[in-house]
Amino acid sequence: MNPFVVYLLLLKAIASSFAGMGSLPQIHQDFVQTRRVLSDDQLSQAVLVGRSTPGPVGAYVVAVGYFAAGWPGAFAGWLAMVTPALAAIPLFVLMQRWLHVPRVRAAVDAVVIASAVLLLSSALRMTADALQQFSLVFLGG
Amino acid sequence: MELLRRTFIAAGAIDEAGNGGLVAVSRLTPGTNVLAYCVGLGWSLHRWAGALAALAAASVPASLVIFLLTMALARIDRYPIVRMALAVGVLVATLLVFSSAWYLLRPYVYASVLTRTAVIIIVSGALLVAGVTPVRILLVSAAVGAAIGGRMQAPEVR
Repeated sequence: MNPFVVYLLLLKAIASSFAGMGSLPQIHQDFVQTRRVLSDDQLSQAVLVGRSTPGPVGAYVVAVGYFAAGWPGAFAGWLAMVTPALAAIPLFVLMQRWLHVPRVRAAVDAVVIASAVLLLSSALRMTADALQQFSLVFLGG
Repeated sequence: MELLRRTFIAAGAIDEAGNGGLVAVSRLTPGTNVLAYCVGLGWSLHRWAGALAALAAASVPASLVIFLLTMALARIDRYPIVRMALAVGVLVATLLVFSSAWYLLRPYVYASVLTRTAVIIIVSGALLVAGVTPVRILLVSAAVGAAIGGRMQAPEVR
């Protein structure tokens, strides 16, 4: 897979989430369901590696990028992870003007709640895949 | 985050009010909140140089470790013992994803805002069942949240 496409897809997923793992549903949709460059198993492994390493929770996208396109994909994953963080700088300027508007805060809160719902759905899907893998490995199917 | 707050307040680089502003900005920045916090902190201390240095320090070491671990994993996952360890590890990872979801939701599950939270959950859940894409679900949820209005407790930064 083209690393630039990996970057764009991961950036879309990360930029539309408000927490480290919030990008998981969109990544599942783009990489596993739509483009089929990752299996459910690989996505679970990426989450496993990301969560078992110290550092930002969202860094699992580096592993997603590696599975999709090798080391250029891993670099694309890192770049996609750090790009939205730079948005913090203009937000500093905007914050003083908009942060106190209740409807803006309510909209952000709603996005966070919806992210949790999407994440729960991803967790359920991962659980089904993990149980299947578990039975294959330990029970021989 | 707490370690960063303590360290930089103890060093006199920021005060509690400044930290509060950083937390709010990092909460509103898409993506990984701790990276946005670090960028904001670096920016407030040394503008662009500080922001880029903080971003590199917060992201590069962990990314390198993940890259090396993933590369190693991709080469050894054909061995039965590794597959067994992975099967157990992936099960544990799913629990961690559940806990991440609960961590996001927890600040909004209390009596005074429970109705608003329930409305957002029902709307996003219905859209999810209907097969709507995640980005659209988030956009609709934001619109519904803005329409409902009212203050919900801001979650902690992770």
